[in-house]
Amino acid sequence: MTALAVAGLPDRRRLLRLAIPLAAVVASLLVSLLLIAISGRSVPDAIEAFLDGAFGTAFAIGASINRAVALALVGLGFILAFRANLTNVGGEGQIAVGGIAATAIALYGHVDGLPLGLAVLLPLLAGTLAGAVWGAIAGVLKVRFGTNEVISTLLLGFIALLMVYWSVQSTDLLRQPQTSSATLPESLQIPVATRLPGLTGDPESPLHIGLVICIILAIVTAVVLRRSTFGLRLRAIGLNELAARRAGMPGGLLLVSALALAGAFGGLAGAIMLQGEQYYLKTGFSSGYGFDGLVVGLLSRGSATGVLAGALFFGFLRSGGISMEIMAGVPAALTLVIQGLIVVAVAGSVILVEKLGEGPR
Amino acid sequence: MLQISPAPTGKAAAPQTRPLLALENLGKRFGSLRAVDDISLEIHAGEVHCLLGENGAGKSTLCNLIFGVYRPDDGIMRFASREWVPAGPAEALDSGIAMVHQHFSLVPRMTVVENLMLGQSKGLLHHRDFAARICDIAERFGFSLDPEAVVGELSVGERQRTEIVKCLMREPQLLVLDEPTAVLPPGEIGSLLDICRRVADSGRAVILVTHKLAEIARVADRVTVLRGGRLVAEAEMATADMGALVRAMVGREVKSLDAALAEDRDAVAASVAPESDGNPSRPRALVCDGLTVRDRHGSTRLENFTLEIGAGEVVGLAGVEGNGQSELGMVLAGLLRPTAGRFFIGDAELTEAGAAAVTAAGGGIVPEDRHAVASVTAMTVAENMFLNKLGQFTRFGLLRRGALNDAAGGLMRDFDVRAAGPDATFSGLSGGNQQKAVLARELTLDPLVALVAAQPTRGLDINAVEAVYRQFRAAARRGAGVLLISSELDELIAVADRIVVLYRGRLVGERPALASERDAIGALMSGHAA
Repeated sequence: MTALAVAGLPDRRRLLRLAIPLAAVVASLLVSLLLIAISGRSVPDAIEAFLDGAFGTAFAIGASINRAVALALVGLGFILAFRANLTNVGGEGQIAVGGIAATAIALYGHVDGLPLGLAVLLPLLAGTLAGAVWGAIAGVLKVRFGTNEVISTLLLGFIALLMVYWSVQSTDLLRQPQTSSATLPESLQIPVATRLPGLTGDPESPLHIGLVICIILAIVTAVVLRRSTFGLRLRAIGLNELAARRAGMPGGLLLVSALALAGAFGGLAGAIMLQGEQYYLKTGFSSGYGFDGLVVGLLSRGSATGVLAGALFFGFLRSGGISMEIMAGVPAALTLVIQGLIVVAVAGSVILVEKLGEGPR
Repeated sequence: MLQISPAPTGKAAAPQTRPLLALENLGKRFGSLRAVDDISLEIHAGEVHCLLGENGAGKSTLCNLIFGVYRPDDGIMRFASREWVPAGPAEALDSGIAMVHQHFSLVPRMTVVENLMLGQSKGLLHHRDFAARICDIAERFGFSLDPEAVVGELSVGERQRTEIVKCLMREPQLLVLDEPTAVLPPGEIGSLLDICRRVADSGRAVILVTHKLAEIARVADRVTVLRGGRLVAEAEMATADMGALVRAMVGREVKSLDAALAEDRDAVAASVAPESDGNPSRPRALVCDGLTVRDRHGSTRLENFTLEIGAGEVVGLAGVEGNGQSELGMVLAGLLRPTAGRFFIGDAELTEAGAAAVTAAGGGIVPEDRHAVASVTAMTVAENMFLNKLGQFTRFGLLRRGALNDAAGGLMRDFDVRAAGPDATFSGLSGGNQQKAVLARELTLDPLVALVAAQPTRGLDINAVEAVYRQFRAAARRGAGVLLISSELDELIAVADRIVVLYRGRLVGERPALASERDAIGALMSGHAA
């Protein structure tokens, strides 16, 4: 290789680092448009509906950000546990138990008239705690019986989803009083005092203080992972459990607390979804956010900033996708295919760029 | 350079004049480090060519260049008279170069034949044919290997033979073995060297990397010595001067270990002379009382192990590996609950207390497996050196990394741990420096009451071994009781005050640590009651 080419290499690489993800997104968008065209829908309509749903109005942006908040919380929990080499795939169930607990406290915990924001805070804490317990169960199973946490968190997730179903089907639990045969299997709406305060003061904007909570927790997570002794211990136990135990670290406790933390984040996400936007519990309450949050966590490569970026990306993508379904009649399945395509393109280009960074041997 | 042999004229050297592999001015840099620097070398068919050098001398890098793992920055290689520019290990294997790495790449839960079929079978599996070929190769090179044995249940030596068969199945012209004896117990080294000899006698070339001189004397036709990435000596084995080879390898005169340690021992004698063995006033450092370990299949790994070590005493535990040493080590490290029995460090009973309590009671542990138990290799040197003391560097839950790195830097100077800095990744250190870092961590416990070290010098070069021994003696001088678990008898005789022998999980005898007791101890190790 000539000296000139070697000298020119870094610049070219920097350019590629930007160009590759861009090209990947553009390519996946083009394929998506092609798919929409093949399905017989109007491509311009679909594009318009997508943009409208994602960024079109202040309301749309707010809704997308709220969605991102839930995804980010699940993702943050994921990277915490992942630091200890634990893969928490139970975000969906943790959201569900968080939602159940928050609903129960908000509706029947007599928190309505409490001062100092306790009416909002207590249901949030209940959701967080429920999620933590749900995660800790998987941790205890792992430490005591060696059960793989991928299996246990996933199965606990299914249990949690069925628990939501049960709670909203039974009037002895959370179902609203049955006044007629048309009464839906849902909980009552939670009292206004227990709902999350808005962020902007504009009653039309869906943005709520969940965003602030999320950003604060992202900073805390980043500090814990990068700067804290606890984070280093998680890393040690994740890399080499035997060596960590030899060094006197409480191995079982660390593993359980890692999964409990991941669960707590999921539970909090559930409580925020309930108190910030949905206001009542129904079947399908967790709406796949747990699994999207898992993908966000995986793609973030263990960085809190990466989780925030990924969550925003997914939040807008989902909002736009839903609007595309409703407004432009693009089939739901096709929307999912398109979203999958974009995710694969972005994830793939991230890996490609990383390889480029390493350079040839 | 010591002695340059212009052409292979030695005893077993190749009949043909053309070298099988020729390196010309080969160089490889990693950053600013010249791992291989201007090396020219010829390897001939039919010879065992030993590459001798300390850790970090460039032996492994050189092998990896030949095997196509790395590409050289300078120089050229010729293999079988053609220019050799391998794109990677796959091309090397196809072209007739095979390599046995230090770390095996076998699937433990599969059988030998299944493992061998993994890389070399396409389409349908011909289980029986493969098994027959394995037996055939084993027979040709004079060893035995059960093709249906599950790899995880094989001894290290058998696993290594599996790797060798894997290589030989490809009928290579050149077999490269990277420190094959470092992982072997003493009993298995001889048979490995025999295999090397037979492979060479079958008309192939063998490159054997090692830093143990005794092996070279036994098997090599020619020796090349590397130091700091450069070729510093080359010799025909028939005419080689071992002393000169050692000097070339370490770059200085090495006092014989015995002499070095004798000085130490005199110093010990002078400082704690009045106290003799059996003195009841000497405080106890480590007491094992009837320790028994049964594995989950119910077979007894360690039986009624009773031993008392006084402060300032070094006791050697001799035994061929697999006779209960690992289990004893795990129990004393606080990682395995014994089935029966108790143990104490100082006056504290720690049988059920766990690893943190062992550390708190002043029990320093140097585990047998540096990578699996002693360290987290993906973390930094500083993190590893204070893995058990991270709390000291924590304020409000946050790690004070500056203070941690400063402290680690100090320890690295004290214990001569050579690394780019406290922030360097532990896995990047040579084996000797890794061991010194582990020692630094365990020896700086305050107070250090007892030190248990298992196979502490395995894979280390001479200089590092010497440093480790000095640290043990120094610890004993400061009043710690030292239990040295080793399968190297010379090491035990050199360092210990007395030697106890473990055979099939039981203590079978005790001897003073004298060279004259060598045979008696050896007999006990092999199960012959003295």
